[in-house]
Amino acid sequence: MSRMGDAALAPVRSVGRSFTDIALQTGGIAVLALQILRRFFPPDIDMRELRRNLYNMGNRSVVIVAISSFFVGITMVVQATILVQELGAYSLVGWGSAYIVLRELGPVFVALMFSGRVGANNTADLATMVVTEQVDGLRALGIDPISFLIVPRVLAMIVMCFTLTVIGDAVALGGAAIIADRMLSIDIYVFWKGVRDLVHMWDMWLGLVKSVGFSVIIAMSSCYYGLNVSGGAPGVGRAVNASVVTSAVGIFISDYIITFLIG
Amino acid sequence: MRGRLDASAQAPDEAGDEGRVAPFWEGPPRSVGAAFLDLWRAGLALWSVFIRTLYYTFRGRREKGDVLKYALEMGNRSIFFMTVTMGFTGMLFVHQAAYQLNQITGDLQLVGAAYIELTIRDLAASIGGVVLATRVGAGIAAEIGSMVVTDQVDAMRMCGTDPVEYLVSPRFIASVFSGTAVLVYTAFIMVVTGMISANLYFDVNPKIFFNFSFVDWHEVLTGLVKCVAYCAAIPVVSSYCGLSTFGGSEGVGWATTRAVVNSAVAIILLDAIISTSAFFIFY
Repeated sequence: MSRMGDAALAPVRSVGRSFTDIALQTGGIAVLALQILRRFFPPDIDMRELRRNLYNMGNRSVVIVAISSFFVGITMVVQATILVQELGAYSLVGWGSAYIVLRELGPVFVALMFSGRVGANNTADLATMVVTEQVDGLRALGIDPISFLIVPRVLAMIVMCFTLTVIGDAVALGGAAIIADRMLSIDIYVFWKGVRDLVHMWDMWLGLVKSVGFSVIIAMSSCYYGLNVSGGAPGVGRAVNASVVTSAVGIFISDYIITFLIG
Repeated sequence: MRGRLDASAQAPDEAGDEGRVAPFWEGPPRSVGAAFLDLWRAGLALWSVFIRTLYYTFRGRREKGDVLKYALEMGNRSIFFMTVTMGFTGMLFVHQAAYQLNQITGDLQLVGAAYIELTIRDLAASIGGVVLATRVGAGIAAEIGSMVVTDQVDAMRMCGTDPVEYLVSPRFIASVFSGTAVLVYTAFIMVVTGMISANLYFDVNPKIFFNFSFVDWHEVLTGLVKCVAYCAAIPVVSSYCGLSTFGGSEGVGWATTRAVVNSAVAIILLDAIISTSAFFIFY
């Protein structure tokens, strides 16, 4: 084949390569998920690791999640006020900001922060263990790395992402109410009346169901890229990057699918 | 503070306190104080990186082609990723809004106009910015962090070059231009996918959906200011996190984590500041 032909085929080749890459990663994540599920029958979980991970992933993330949720709440109430001002219906401000925070932005922003803080950290942790051959060391000692390292992390991430979403929702709504009262001169009572009368319980539950879906995606992709790392310190950086990007894509796609199916 | 990033920012000075057992009531104030001191030091170091980046952006020498290389990496390589994530987000937002309006009034005339206004003013820049930060920020921190860990940055300092000049300022210029372009493209994608969603599931005519009558010049301006501010913040914050890497491959992972989180926090903070000030200036 001539050089011209090679150049003409290059785009086709790169498209094909990215498709096989995506297929490889999806398959790898699915296999890892099956391996994790098998550890639950019968349950084979290291409880001490679980407790340690719950603390590291959850308690240590509360401050950052609370701060960013507070500002998300502020931004949303300002946006809702601008929108409502054109219609002149101030009683809708509480509903508008609560609706968008509970259903969409609360879970999505908490999941993005969670993937940045906990997911990336988890990938870096696991990748370092793989690169320094600690995982092989575990295998040599006859300890199953999946049930010792992976299952507690996945469980802790699911539990804690849910919990942090609850906290984040509450802080965002509180921040929105305070800012509406102090800066936009919408009485806090009017705000809460709008929230109470017009927001359904289901809006909150939808957001929380989403957060569980997001946390599964974050947990699986961060563990997968952490375990399948190669090539020293730069490899760890690449693994973290890939895990964060995959989590973000997964979060937005699953957000759409979940809303479409049950929203 | 100039030129010193790593050592002073990391280790709080506790010499001379070793032998004493602190009474229990000193615990909480101590940890709060330590957190504030850490935050203050990190803020100073970040400020120093930012000022030096600005200085070298206008004054510094630059490797030929670096800016283009980084612009390609941050801009063109992010387009597929941004199209997928933000495309789904746009569909989702219109789906939510139209679904809710259908239940309350059933009048979907203004869905497009309100959605386009909100997208241009806030959603495209802010959500797109956080998503872009996960990709671009993690990449920058991983690259610079690996260089720090393998002592390449120290070698640069030994040659009398500020690493900010060669590593940060080209990334900064590249990100301000190509990142802003990507975020504007994001707004376009969100509007188009929103129209598709409205048309497919709620039978809204595209001609009615594309209603730009709510969009004023100052909303476009607010959106653009947000895009530029976020795209300036991402490389500075991530480079700072990359430059303050310590330890081996574990340190690179930590740096990447902090880059993503801190860029996202910076964007959310800037969003709150810019939105609130725009509200008080224009409304």
